[in-house]
Amino acid sequence: MSAATHTEVHANLTDEQVRQISDELDEPEWLLETRLEALDALSELDMPDVIRTPGRDWTNLHELDYESLVDPLNAAENKDQVGPEEAEVLAWSEAVDEHEELLKEHFGSVVDPQENYLTALSTALFSTGTVIYVPEGVDAEGVTIRTEQNSRSLFNYTLVVTEESSSVTILERQSTGEDSEALRASDSASGDEPRADEQYYSGIVEIVAGENSNVQYGSLQNLSEEAYNFTLKRGDADTYATIDWIEANLGTQLTKSGVETELNGDGSESQIVGAFYGHNDQHFDIDARVWHRAEHTTADLVTRGVTDDVARSVYEGVQDVGRDAWDTSSYQRENTLMLSDESEADASPKLIINNHDTEASHSATVGQIDQEDLLYMTSRGVQPRDARNMLVEGFFVPVLEEIAVDELRDDLEELIAARLRQRD
Amino acid sequence: MARLELSNLHAEVADGDEKILEGVNLEVKSGEIHALMGPNGSGKSTTAKVIAGHPAYEVTEGEVLLHLEEGEFGDEIEIDDDQRSWNILDLEPNERAALGIFLGFQYPAEIEGVTMTNFLRTALNAKIDEREELFEDEDADEDDEEDEGFETSPMEGPADEGEVGVAEFQQILQEKMEELDMDERFAQRYLNAGFSGGEKKQNEVLQAAILEPSIAVLDEIDSGLDIDRLQDVSNGINSLRDEQGTGILQITHYQRILDYVEPDHVHVMLDGQIAKSGDASLAEELEDKGYDWVREEVYGTA
Repeated sequence: MSAATHTEVHANLTDEQVRQISDELDEPEWLLETRLEALDALSELDMPDVIRTPGRDWTNLHELDYESLVDPLNAAENKDQVGPEEAEVLAWSEAVDEHEELLKEHFGSVVDPQENYLTALSTALFSTGTVIYVPEGVDAEGVTIRTEQNSRSLFNYTLVVTEESSSVTILERQSTGEDSEALRASDSASGDEPRADEQYYSGIVEIVAGENSNVQYGSLQNLSEEAYNFTLKRGDADTYATIDWIEANLGTQLTKSGVETELNGDGSESQIVGAFYGHNDQHFDIDARVWHRAEHTTADLVTRGVTDDVARSVYEGVQDVGRDAWDTSSYQRENTLMLSDESEADASPKLIINNHDTEASHSATVGQIDQEDLLYMTSRGVQPRDARNMLVEGFFVPVLEEIAVDELRDDLEELIAARLRQRD
Repeated sequence: MARLELSNLHAEVADGDEKILEGVNLEVKSGEIHALMGPNGSGKSTTAKVIAGHPAYEVTEGEVLLHLEEGEFGDEIEIDDDQRSWNILDLEPNERAALGIFLGFQYPAEIEGVTMTNFLRTALNAKIDEREELFEDEDADEDDEEDEGFETSPMEGPADEGEVGVAEFQQILQEKMEELDMDERFAQRYLNAGFSGGEKKQNEVLQAAILEPSIAVLDEIDSGLDIDRLQDVSNGINSLRDEQGTGILQITHYQRILDYVEPDHVHVMLDGQIAKSGDASLAEELEDKGYDWVREEVYGTA
């Protein structure tokens, strides 16, 4: 997997472009340096790991035509960033202005900018983002971030920092704008490039959860089905901190998404709830990972997904119990329901135990709608189509029940129902 | 009045050529209780599944006819002369249900995420809609099509409430659950999910009580029941017959339930055929002598 095998977007990217992005955001020198170093590292970095089964790479990130997808200086979006008064919810440029020390301490501390090719690309080029800072003891509900992408490419960054004994609930949503001037403009500038409507979205999320703080972070990705999406979300949980993730994916033609927690503090906890529904030729590559690195930590990973038509899904779940992680509890379940014979799904739950004082379970299933279940319902008079829809909606219920953010649960439920109703 | 008629019914497993039913003849009328008995593998459950339209079985010969009389579905549904007899093998399972066929499953499905209330109200309304469609006048077609086009727009929320609204349904459900001595909390639980064997069977009878079938086929409704619940379930079956005039085809291994649900007719199935029929005393005789006695009698004299 050498860098030479994929399109060398970095050959077209220049220090000058990165300087311009950083300059427009009025960033300090150290941030510019971080970006330039990331840019410089591109030629040596690999793509993120993907699941491979014999004879097959499930997700081929090398095939993407980054060179034409990445258009760093024409980023355009509509963004809402709102939250309660008690917490600070800042646009990136505001955060640069008001919280440089905070950024200096935490930016890149959870996700290494040079972790792989795509994180480095994102670090070098991100032009928008949100910083959420929750002071000690503050309870902040209802932070919502909505990003509507209106350009060929958009690089986004989110940082969440919670101080001791605070809590926050965050819902971040991505979609694609209907009208995108910039997209059309960049089209005419380039020649025989990819389909006019293709986009690339990249997002990095870092959460630094302070002692005894509680973070609920829900994500609902509903980008256009022409879009590509690379997202990496990772949290660092301090002593008695809790980080709960909800990761819902409905849009894009290809998504590579990782949701991860490092349980670094004693008694810390994390839940990763995932839901996806792929149809047409969508491809979802979802990773859920947790590292138990302290004592008395707990993790619960629950993902459910549906694939239809010729959609594909690949899931990798990792529970890594470190040598010093005494008294660990770690649970993982993943279930994929295939609605068509042509759709494909692969799931790989991994449990790595280096401390025997662990209670753990992991399982994954891939199946189709049970014909007995269907007959049970239709034999009572329910139409086959309605019976199937009820079964699919019911399949998501165990995941929906875990979603504490009402708005996200309602949105997701509606999107699932709407997608089902599109079907015959 | 309705009459279910199985005539020379042959069936085999769809993805194989294992013959299971080899010429079943049987008639069940509204208001009658029939017991269908027989050893394991004789074809009892297959008979039930074929009547309901299970996709795992293929009918190779014979018919399953449902004969309806005027007024079977009340005043609102007019049954024309040419709509009195249906070969239900030509119909989808949900259409069979709309015509009044009910199958109580030996192993009811556990459906996660779908509440009993939601499921049953959907089923009841679907049954009413489907029945209207099956019996609708030619003239009424146009109106209905307009309605449908409007309701099925993908942008709309869930279609309208249906014939039986939420509040009305809650009341029906509550009444029926009380009659069956069921805990009202069942209504908000997921369909059969985590139910005990007995609770599932009770739930089957509850569903029959709400859907008011013309003919109910109950596949081993008595298996896995303790004595108290056996009585509840039996009371439920008896009131299906007494109050709604449902014809019952009860498949069972045991004489036990027949003490509570007294059959008008008892049939013994052997090797995919009805080998012998009689009245309630036949069941007692079987209890004493076993099935070999029937086998000897039937094949011995053949």
